[in-house]
Amino acid sequence: MPTGVDAYWLRLGTTMLMYGVLAMSWNFIGGMAGYPSFASAAFFGLGAYAGAVAQKYGLPMVVAWSLAGAVAALFAAALGFALLRLRGHYFAIASLVVAEVLREIVNSATNLTGGGMGLNIPVPQMASIADQARFFYYAMLGVAVLAFGAVLVTQRSRLGFGLRCIQQNESAADMLGVNTTLYKVNAFILSGVFVGVAGAVYASWVHYIEPPDVFDVLYSIKPIVMVLLGGAGTLFGPLIGAALFLSLEELVWRNYLSVHTGVLGLLIVLLVLFLPKGILAFRLRRT
Amino acid sequence: MTKTPLLLGTLVAAVFAVGAATAQDVIRIGAPLPITGPLSPEAVKQQRGYDLWAETANRAGGVQVGGKRMKVEIVYVDYQSNTPRAVQAAEKLITQDKVNFLFSPFGSGAAKAASSVSEKYQVPTIAATASSAQVYDQGYKYLFGTFTPNDTLTEPLSDMVKKQAAGVQRVAILARNDLFPLAIAQEMEKSAKKRGMNVVYFEKYAIGTLDHASALSQIKSQAPHWIFATGYTNDLILMRKQMGDLKIEAPVVTMVAAPAYQEWIDGTGKLAENVSSAAWWHPAVRYKGKDLFGTTENYVKLFQAKYKAIPDYAEASASAAGAIFQLAIEKAGTIDKQKVRDALASMNEMTFWGPVKFGPTGQINSLEPPVFQIQKGKPLVLHPQSIRQGELQLGIK
Amino acid sequence: MLTFQILANGLVLGGLYACIASGFSLVWGVLNVINILHGSIIVLGGYLAFFAHAKLGIHPFLSILVAAPLFYAAGYVLQRTLINRMIAAPVLLTLSLTFGLDLMAQNGMLLAFTADFRTLIIEPPLGVLALGPVVIPIDRLLAMLLALALTGLLYLLLSRSRIGRAVVAVRMDREAAALMGVSVKRIYAVTFGLGAMMAGVSGTLLAMIYPISPLTGTVYLGKAFVVCVLGGLGSVPGAMVGGIALGIVESFGALWFGPENAATLSFLLLIVVLLVKPTGLLGRKGYE
Repeated sequence: MPTGVDAYWLRLGTTMLMYGVLAMSWNFIGGMAGYPSFASAAFFGLGAYAGAVAQKYGLPMVVAWSLAGAVAALFAAALGFALLRLRGHYFAIASLVVAEVLREIVNSATNLTGGGMGLNIPVPQMASIADQARFFYYAMLGVAVLAFGAVLVTQRSRLGFGLRCIQQNESAADMLGVNTTLYKVNAFILSGVFVGVAGAVYASWVHYIEPPDVFDVLYSIKPIVMVLLGGAGTLFGPLIGAALFLSLEELVWRNYLSVHTGVLGLLIVLLVLFLPKGILAFRLRRT
Repeated sequence: MTKTPLLLGTLVAAVFAVGAATAQDVIRIGAPLPITGPLSPEAVKQQRGYDLWAETANRAGGVQVGGKRMKVEIVYVDYQSNTPRAVQAAEKLITQDKVNFLFSPFGSGAAKAASSVSEKYQVPTIAATASSAQVYDQGYKYLFGTFTPNDTLTEPLSDMVKKQAAGVQRVAILARNDLFPLAIAQEMEKSAKKRGMNVVYFEKYAIGTLDHASALSQIKSQAPHWIFATGYTNDLILMRKQMGDLKIEAPVVTMVAAPAYQEWIDGTGKLAENVSSAAWWHPAVRYKGKDLFGTTENYVKLFQAKYKAIPDYAEASASAAGAIFQLAIEKAGTIDKQKVRDALASMNEMTFWGPVKFGPTGQINSLEPPVFQIQKGKPLVLHPQSIRQGELQLGIK
Repeated sequence: MLTFQILANGLVLGGLYACIASGFSLVWGVLNVINILHGSIIVLGGYLAFFAHAKLGIHPFLSILVAAPLFYAAGYVLQRTLINRMIAAPVLLTLSLTFGLDLMAQNGMLLAFTADFRTLIIEPPLGVLALGPVVIPIDRLLAMLLALALTGLLYLLLSRSRIGRAVVAVRMDREAAALMGVSVKRIYAVTFGLGAMMAGVSGTLLAMIYPISPLTGTVYLGKAFVVCVLGGLGSVPGAMVGGIALGIVESFGALWFGPENAATLSFLLLIVVLLVKPTGLLGRKGYE
């Protein structure tokens, strides 16, 4: 598809796919299991730095990305065992704070990460700039396809069923013999691994990362808004939400220079007040 | 399921229908700025500088390009204080808005990140606020900068202290853990050690720190002769206030870069007295330029007339970036990107900002940044010799 | 000697943190709403104090008298008109709602006040209190005492007055309170009003200490989170204890691990407390 498309659209497409990965990933823990996770930024930043540092030490790009996915998955597993015992607000806050802690650790580990100076990632040697942009588009597409595949498989598996049980009534699920801890941790790993890879791809794509950018709390909040927009727990909801969110963001960003954060805020408020079940629910109600 | 994607497609298409038109007799310069987010105060300053240049140039009929005059237009994009978004904004400006030239986003980090985009599309770019040498040593041909490297600030300062305050031996450094503030603190450490001074304290504080009392108490217990602190305006207002609260006294206190801003002097009141600093430019410098602003005095006058405020180095640098583009375009006689780039590379002109000549990396190497000190609520230039207004005063309470 | 100074620093800083967090904690505990807007309300209080001082020459301590009823009323109305519509919705929705409102508030302030940092300087300065070699800035000390007094007042209000007891009753058990004839809706609005009042008043106090800008709210909000979890949600004395604990941990953390790690340490502490004692240092019952 993206031949002859100009670089701006390619960049937008890549961002769109990245948002899709974030939203689909959050859907595992937030939409299916019903745990309000704010850990996306932690996984994203961790993946970005794992990938970038690995590349700094000479690992090939694709190996570095896989490594970033593994690091994010391991981290999610460990974190999941610790935090998923908490519920509601407590879980939300604990997961929110993880990104803050990681950011400050990365900030202090100057030797490895460059700290507040940021980190430059070697630019891949490629025939042309257009090739490079196309390459990252396909890379992000690959991650998105993997994530979507995981969603498909999960929804039809015992895991998906178990997660829905947990969302309905965790204590009951527990009594019925669902190993809730294991299920939740699995959902958390799934919500981390693709975000980690996406973070690493992103780092290679923009060539330069710094802690406040990749651990930005907005990476935790945006996927939630996207999923809410598209409909939580559904198959296509997160993707539709991501596309819609990016369009709105871009529209507002381009046309309302001085008020765009306010307009974005207004959109979120309206969405919560009038479409709390997402755009799909709106469609269903009308037809 | 079919209806929604369709609806979505129309919406997405509608969003981007707003295309960019390019007029023929206008020079468009893109300026990605952090208009929202933590860096937004800096964006305001940049914008004031750019606007003053564009307005002054247009009032004179525009920029002389070969036989005709062309108006200038600055296209702003907000990148929300988010560096990757700055790269995106730069790319959007080049590919969508079809700008002819580019001003770099704010600071060394973002300027470096975006420089790969302008290099890609071979768009001449001037960075008005990037000082780190690492920004320029990437072998890029289209990036130019108006700030000399960081050590050109700490070196003359250290020389002066060494010469005029013989007893100064113990140096304490407290730096914001952020690109520029940290880089300048590291240069300071080198400059101090080079002169045989003893760095007794060197710590960083996190962005968003609400309290410096602990660090300052520790500094006080080390009884340093010279306290060197870096950070943005709000950090250093708070820090100076807490130094007063903790009754910290030292012969020399230097803060970079906040004292160059009137806001900092207003915000600290009497505590500003005798705090020294250095910056790349100061309204008290006196140059007779060949650019549209002419003398430094004239530039300050124009700025005051428009904004009712004295320009600081960041604002002046933004205006200078515009003026430098204008000089290069007029010399090249065309807005052809390659020719303007060559004109920039070979430039050797005097401006209100100072002598402008770019080194092989594209970073300016002709400026001598002034050292100054707040005395009786006003900044006085102590160095360079040619524009000196006062002597270094010792003792800060 | 350094230890005593650091301890003193930590205590007064803790007083400020308690001030920042108490209203946030109350709203969270009673309404089960994480009010992201809290930080921006503090900043608005700061602007009120700043402009009252700059234009009318009113001392920030006097501004409190105006700020308190004003912010109470604004909070009351905001709850009745907007927040209450989502009060029974899941965590995520109420959080997104206040997040959206906060984006609007920040943008609004940016347009109204610009991003410049404003500083309120009191002449003559309040000076410092010297206890031997240990010095304590009086503005911070006063802010801390005022925070204590306000917290005490709020505590008295909650434990002694009819409406206060109703607030506590709703916090303990909403259904039972409703059965007892308490108008839950009204109590929610009162609580949100009190939360906004505490935020606005702390803003006027902080104006004497910190430079004011539309975006500093985020930093205050982060501190409020940590304090609340440390002290236990919804508990007013808990916010005091949590604030002082945080102040001391940050001060000694900066001394022992370097200033850049002070905040990290407090966040780690938060996670540990959540895992070990999710009801906070003082909490007895968890309000999910």
